[in-house]
Amino acid sequence: MKRKTLVGTGVLVVVAGVIVLLLSSHFGCGRTLHRHYSPSQDTSGQGRMFFDPEGTYAAPRATLEAQIAREPGRGRADSRPEGMPPRQDELWIIERPETPPQRTGDDDPGTGALMAVLPDAEKEVPVPLKHTDVKAQISGYIATVDVTQQFHNPYDTKIEASYVFPLPQNAAINEFIMTIGERRIRGIIRERQEAERIYHEARRQGYVASLLTQERPNIFTQKVANIEPGKEIDVNIKYFQTLAYVDGWYEFVFPMVVGPRFNPPGYTDGVGAVGHGTGASSGQKTEVQYLRPGERSGHDISVTVSIVAGVPVEGIECPSHVITRSSGDSSKVTVKLSELDSIPNKDFVLRYKVAGKVVKSALLTQQGKDGGYFTLMLYPPDTLKHLGRKPMEMIFVLDCSGSMRGMPIAKAKRAIAHALKMLEPDDTFQVIRFSNNASQLGPAPLPATPKNVRKGLRYVSQLEGGGGTMMIEGIKAALDFEHDPRRLRVVSFMTDGYIGNEKQIIGEVHKRLGASRIFSFGVGSSVNRYLLERMAKLGRGAVAYVGLDESGGKAVDLFYEKISHPAMTDIAIDWGDMAVTGVFPQRIPDLFVGRPVILTGRFSGDGNTTIRVTGRVGDATREIALPVNANGASHNGISAVWARMKIADLHNQSTYSQNADLPEQIKQVALEHGLMSAYTAFVAVDSLTRTSGDHGVSVAVPVPVPDGVRYDTTVTE
Amino acid sequence: MRIFSTIVVLASVLASVAAGAQEPAAPAVRFEAVDVYIDSAERPLAAYQFEFAAETGEIKIVGVEGGEHEAFKHPPYYDPAALSNDRIIIAAFNTGQNLPSGRTRVARIHLQVTGAVGPEYVIIVSAAATSDGEKIPARGTIAQGEGE
Repeated sequence: MKRKTLVGTGVLVVVAGVIVLLLSSHFGCGRTLHRHYSPSQDTSGQGRMFFDPEGTYAAPRATLEAQIAREPGRGRADSRPEGMPPRQDELWIIERPETPPQRTGDDDPGTGALMAVLPDAEKEVPVPLKHTDVKAQISGYIATVDVTQQFHNPYDTKIEASYVFPLPQNAAINEFIMTIGERRIRGIIRERQEAERIYHEARRQGYVASLLTQERPNIFTQKVANIEPGKEIDVNIKYFQTLAYVDGWYEFVFPMVVGPRFNPPGYTDGVGAVGHGTGASSGQKTEVQYLRPGERSGHDISVTVSIVAGVPVEGIECPSHVITRSSGDSSKVTVKLSELDSIPNKDFVLRYKVAGKVVKSALLTQQGKDGGYFTLMLYPPDTLKHLGRKPMEMIFVLDCSGSMRGMPIAKAKRAIAHALKMLEPDDTFQVIRFSNNASQLGPAPLPATPKNVRKGLRYVSQLEGGGGTMMIEGIKAALDFEHDPRRLRVVSFMTDGYIGNEKQIIGEVHKRLGASRIFSFGVGSSVNRYLLERMAKLGRGAVAYVGLDESGGKAVDLFYEKISHPAMTDIAIDWGDMAVTGVFPQRIPDLFVGRPVILTGRFSGDGNTTIRVTGRVGDATREIALPVNANGASHNGISAVWARMKIADLHNQSTYSQNADLPEQIKQVALEHGLMSAYTAFVAVDSLTRTSGDHGVSVAVPVPVPDGVRYDTTVTE
Repeated sequence: MRIFSTIVVLASVLASVAAGAQEPAAPAVRFEAVDVYIDSAERPLAAYQFEFAAETGEIKIVGVEGGEHEAFKHPPYYDPAALSNDRIIIAAFNTGQNLPSGRTRVARIHLQVTGAVGPEYVIIVSAAATSDGEKIPARGTIAQGEGE
């Protein structure tokens, strides 16, 4: 019997560790793994798409492309929804990369070898992901979300499943469990390259294993190795997430599909969008395979959200999906996604409103083994609503790329038109469009006279979608204007954010921002929220989303409500008797009407104190006093939220800073808190389940293009 | 919760078992499992914490599975801050009435082992308690994991 040196260390330290670790584990103890599978309904979803339900676009590709080559911009005419462009304008192929596609070997999914054994691929495509089950519990303004992905093998040979999927960009993922039959194996957080090495070795030797990696803060890859024919393996991911509070409503969002991204020519670190079965052909580091028009998979999704608000819930709305609602009492509500709306092709957006005219700033805490953590949702003072704004220099930047074609650009154009009509005579405006390049209404911003507004409306009305998403061109055009210092410059991007070079874009915004403020509109059903929110934060502004089923006018009205009052700027906080360190975000954002900000940090000392927030509103200094009790409301996810926000802060710095230590700092925070990041990964190996032979064929999970997005203008064949 | 406020550390119980005889033809990198047992004698086991480590050999911990009894079937939590390749601190508790007593497998640890020499493992049970917070002089042992 051997004795480790650790045995002699202080007993009290061990006791403390035991209690803290056991306490922290308590909160997850009662969880059960839910493995519901709802037989799919009509999963074609074609009734919701713009192309005709007969699947005309499933014509042989060669024929279709030949037609495009002969008659660019010409095609069939049909009846379209009001406001939609005619179909003949929609036959367009996205610009292809100049670099030839590189196949990277048999480790890549979708090698095509399996396709030979798939019958009826034109109709229903068997995929190795059967079902996704989402269970969210909302308490206060924090959601605890369990996502179960049910993988299976519908083929006659052993496979490795690979699935590129989205999660919220602020998800603090700290739990990963692989289930094989009745056995559940908790994954281990590791430095990413080490986790990948472990996974590949297990895969090579025939062991059942799984690996979760992060490609973007909102894009992840799940791999499951050595699934034998007919077998099922579940992967459960748990994360914490702070909710947005937007214009009086809390908002919970669960993204379901990664939209097809455009990558500039020569760029290889992006996210490729390719047709099902043409894997590893994009030349990009990450690749998503999409189902073609007329193809469908059996993969569906169920979502259950339980809200424990503490006060009566006054209103619930889900602009994206059909839901059912049940409630025990007015403060506890459960919402379920209807089984009739279970195709995972758009963001699930749930909003709820609680009772009371004024929502108070709220402090949540957690006592960890290494000290206290807190989050503070800080609301703007009501007095802001009574103050007017100064004249604006309003720059609209419209994404006219191929992915915006159809309903997204129609929505965006209506929103711009609505906004133009709300300008005041002292304001000026400019409209910039970009796709492969950028162009604009005029050389300089125009005064918002009735005549100029009409000119702007005419210009906007003739803009159409088509081409690549050279967003950098739009950013240059928008931010390089000479600024009129008498006016508040507001730059408003209207885009779905479907680009793969986020880091370049964010770096460019940081470099050129100057005095501009960025208030963007995400337009579409599955917007790249990471990009838009990051740009808005850099630009000291905000972002609003216009879903395809929502009114763009309402979003614009709320936008004007925000920018029609001065923000509280230069915010400083006196934390009273709380000894506070490590506050994120490090630069406290400005406070706008209707938009609270969430701060998180670490603390010690007596939390029963008054926090004093001071800032400038116009030329005056204002103060908000917030009595708080750090021993009051608590949540066991705060330390994970804090670590995730610290990682986000470091990651954001890495988009424009040359500091070579940032990746190591991110990795250390992530490992210490057991969190996913760009530099860490979860790996799980079942060392008792070794399948015969070496690894199987890699199969990517093809996904539908997002609702409202056209396959033929966004996906490379 | 009363149980946790009254936990007192036990004298650590050690058990070290060479997991598996050295295989002459063992691959350079292989995967194996180690089962962790805690013997609480006649007392119902409601909570435990132990440290598992390799004293010799090169290992990487690649998964943690739950135990055989329903009370500890859920894969237990580990402390990520204390995690290294060859060391992990694991804990779990159950506040229910159906609890195991005697020798029970509480966890299974999946490992990647490198090198021909079989590692030597050590387990240190730093806490074990009943549901009312009473300490248990529990004993920890390990054995090579096998499929059920």
